[in-house]
Amino acid sequence: MGGEAAAGKWYDAAKATFTTLVDTKHTVSSVFQFINVPMGVWIDENGRVVRPAEPAWAASRTDVYGGKPLEIQGELYVAALRDWVANGDKSDYVLSDEEFARRVKPRSPAEMEAEASFKLAVWFQQAGHAELAAKYFERAQALNPDDWNYHRQEWSFTGEAGKKWLEKFKGFDKEYYPKLELNKKGG
Amino acid sequence: MERRDFLRIVGAASLAPGAIDGPPVSPAATVLYDDRAVSLDRIGPAPTGDPDGLWIRKRDLPRVNGFELKPQGACRADLCIPIPKTLVRGEYFNLTAFAKKAGQPVVAEPGARVWSFGEMQALGGGLANSRTAPDFEVPDRLGRPVRLAGFRGKKALVITWASW
Repeated sequence: MGGEAAAGKWYDAAKATFTTLVDTKHTVSSVFQFINVPMGVWIDENGRVVRPAEPAWAASRTDVYGGKPLEIQGELYVAALRDWVANGDKSDYVLSDEEFARRVKPRSPAEMEAEASFKLAVWFQQAGHAELAAKYFERAQALNPDDWNYHRQEWSFTGEAGKKWLEKFKGFDKEYYPKLELNKKGG
Repeated sequence: MERRDFLRIVGAASLAPGAIDGPPVSPAATVLYDDRAVSLDRIGPAPTGDPDGLWIRKRDLPRVNGFELKPQGACRADLCIPIPKTLVRGEYFNLTAFAKKAGQPVVAEPGARVWSFGEMQALGGGLANSRTAPDFEVPDRLGRPVRLAGFRGKKALVITWASW
């Protein structure tokens, strides 16, 4: 199950008043280089990206999975977002061009090939070719192991999402989410 | 107007639908390009030594990737990429060789006649080269197309999540 059938009930439960999309091709993640969920970007009135991809939680908590902590900083994120809504370009959380350039890197050749493999995998999955889908999910994961979307989308089809996630999470030697950097004055 | 009215939030659930929703495999070729699947009813035979090569009809090029062939090369908007004569053979154009020249990855499953084209570096390199948000189009819950450009004039927060 996927698409509206899977996402719709969550939008209903949230009583969403904002625009709600069903992104079966992972278009948004491709455009903004999201590598996990939830992640978000801020875009100003002129279509300029104020802050690039970063974790976008609404509340803070610390979970522990397999003895390993996972810290989520939602309250700081929401406070920063409110500050930008109120103050616009004068907000301390609008990134300078230099800071933006530090955070956004062009995709490497391997990452670009991984993205093309992932899109092929998703297409095969939707076309009912599970074996071919698995082949290209695996290729995408090997080329860019840091992109959790490549894994989590495949696991959602296998029925082993929780088990597979925990295995990879416990062995992952990097940040599960990109570090949320909410420093005042352009950070 | 209240502050919240200034902020339009775009939420996107990234979830591939179930298998029964998928498109059929094209009888000749399917090209995945910019999240569009373009079916081609005729392609040229791949020459010996390049079994993964995809030769499409020149007239199919615009609907595949927005480029068209001109005397100065393959052109899209104000970008023209010179192409060697070897990329054209009669009515066919070597799309995979063109991608290689443009720094664009291609992942192919020729047995299923599907080619997936990735990001084209020649088109600008995305956010790493410009802070202007790339436009995109994704359907809403009712299948109506929503473009990011439609939110110009308002602040936008674009968030993805999934239920997995």
